[in-house]
Amino acid sequence: MLILSVESTCDETAVAVTRNGREVLTDQIFSQADLHAVYGGVVPEIASRSHVEVISQLADRALQEAGVSRGELDAVAVSYAPGLIGAVLVGVSFAKSVAFGLGIPLIPVHHIRGHIAANYIAYPELEPPFVCLAISGGNTLLVDVRGYTDMRVLGCTRDDAAGECFDKTARVLGLGYPGGKPVDQLSQGGDDKKYPLPVGHVEGHPYDFSFSGLKTAVINLVHNAEQKGEELDKPSLCASFSAAVSESLVPRTMAACRELGYGKLVTAGGVAANSRIRADFRAAAEAEGVKLYVPPLKLCGDNAAMIGCQGYYEYLAGNTAGMDLNAYANREL
Amino acid sequence: MLTLAVDTSAKSVSAALVEDGMLLAQYSQCCGLTHSRTLMPMVEALLRNTGRKREELSRLAVSAGPGSFTGVRIGIAAVKGLAWALEKPAVGVSTLEAMAWHALGQPEGTVICCAMDARRGQLYNALFALRGGQPERLTPDRAISLEELAQEEKMRAGRTFVVGDGARLCYNGLRERGLAPVLAPPPLEHQSAWGVAMAAGDRPGTDAKELLPVYLRLSQAERERQARLQKKGERL
Repeated sequence: MLILSVESTCDETAVAVTRNGREVLTDQIFSQADLHAVYGGVVPEIASRSHVEVISQLADRALQEAGVSRGELDAVAVSYAPGLIGAVLVGVSFAKSVAFGLGIPLIPVHHIRGHIAANYIAYPELEPPFVCLAISGGNTLLVDVRGYTDMRVLGCTRDDAAGECFDKTARVLGLGYPGGKPVDQLSQGGDDKKYPLPVGHVEGHPYDFSFSGLKTAVINLVHNAEQKGEELDKPSLCASFSAAVSESLVPRTMAACRELGYGKLVTAGGVAANSRIRADFRAAAEAEGVKLYVPPLKLCGDNAAMIGCQGYYEYLAGNTAGMDLNAYANREL
Repeated sequence: MLTLAVDTSAKSVSAALVEDGMLLAQYSQCCGLTHSRTLMPMVEALLRNTGRKREELSRLAVSAGPGSFTGVRIGIAAVKGLAWALEKPAVGVSTLEAMAWHALGQPEGTVICCAMDARRGQLYNALFALRGGQPERLTPDRAISLEELAQEEKMRAGRTFVVGDGARLCYNGLRERGLAPVLAPPPLEHQSAWGVAMAAGDRPGTDAKELLPVYLRLSQAERERQARLQKKGERL
């Protein structure tokens, strides 16, 4: 089954062609990061404008690269939520009319389910059930993945997403946007114990996360140092910050693994690319005898192959949509 | 030539099937539901109910702006998808030019004042004159304040017909300033997909990738950034 898939929920426009879910024939990605860099974050209107400019070129290129004709496509899958609504609308509107024009089924895919599915592409042997921690610029979710389309959210962030926290930290340190990569690079060789930073807890909800306290602590630390004219040890601050995020994510996730006993842990999303978080998960998983799946870097960020992959399983489960499909800024997993 | 035209540029949404200048069918609604939900079911029903197949379409047409940024993008993205899937050309037309066709029943020489609510104290506007049974452009598409538009109108004699989703706003504003324009009757007030097809005329259209929205305005973030840079420049 050949699926054309579309992703446009944030600042990446992507179109992919996948076969039977896990085989990626092509994944065309246009990243707008440069367009947003001068603003220090994604500007929704600029993102939406860019999506509509490039989307059909990406679809052209996807067919070309995959060596597939329109007539061979069996379905269209699209990331319909969650995301920046104006941005999601572009992909959804395009995908709907492509499905209509070709007379093939339309499959709505939850963006986070797509991130989880990125692991199916990377690991052919991986099958549910497993515990998944999905961490990106917009989301932080701990999920019990009972089946390909049967999921239960165990915990989520009560305020900022983990990735958002990286971006804000990078911003206040003048490291540019997006912040994940520069913070990670600068933290190498830094002392992760030099700056004691808070690790958020949500009373009575052991699997929920909170990052706003950490974010505020970093901002205050930087501002205080500026006021006093003190030089900050930026590598150590980045290392301490990464350690604090990791300390928030890893123990909770391991507790969920113990509770559910699946023996399999999957990470997903852009923040899963962070080296400290990866290393801590590796160590914890090894200590507890849990098999850890970390997607390769190129599948951590937003892409359309993951949407095509999850779309395949949604299709098998009968989850298709009519022409009245809408886009949503928020939608339950 | 069979044209499927759509308009999602403002409050109303419509889709029309026009063959060689003849309107075969048009669906429209203006009830606050999101265009992303309603547009494609309209297109689906339009073809089904007229017994035409999507493969029979010669080209697609869409109002490319000005208009609601998100609204315009829904129409453009949908038409891009159709054009891409069907491998048919697409034509993007000015929303203001499309609505000018609603003045067809007016006397020869009538000035057509196309008006959309651009917020921030402005209208998206263009003027046309009805000549030989079709609108002839007098001004480019622009964002203009009611005050400026009224000044222009005062310079000119003759009948002015006001049309568009900003027609009432414009009509009331011009009357307050001592002018006496004619307001489009309710069924003709809002822009329509039929107008889009008429404005597309016999233009052959382009590949989907060349179809682009025309916003007439930068995003808020870009405007504010420009203002900051300008201020900085003035200080230096």
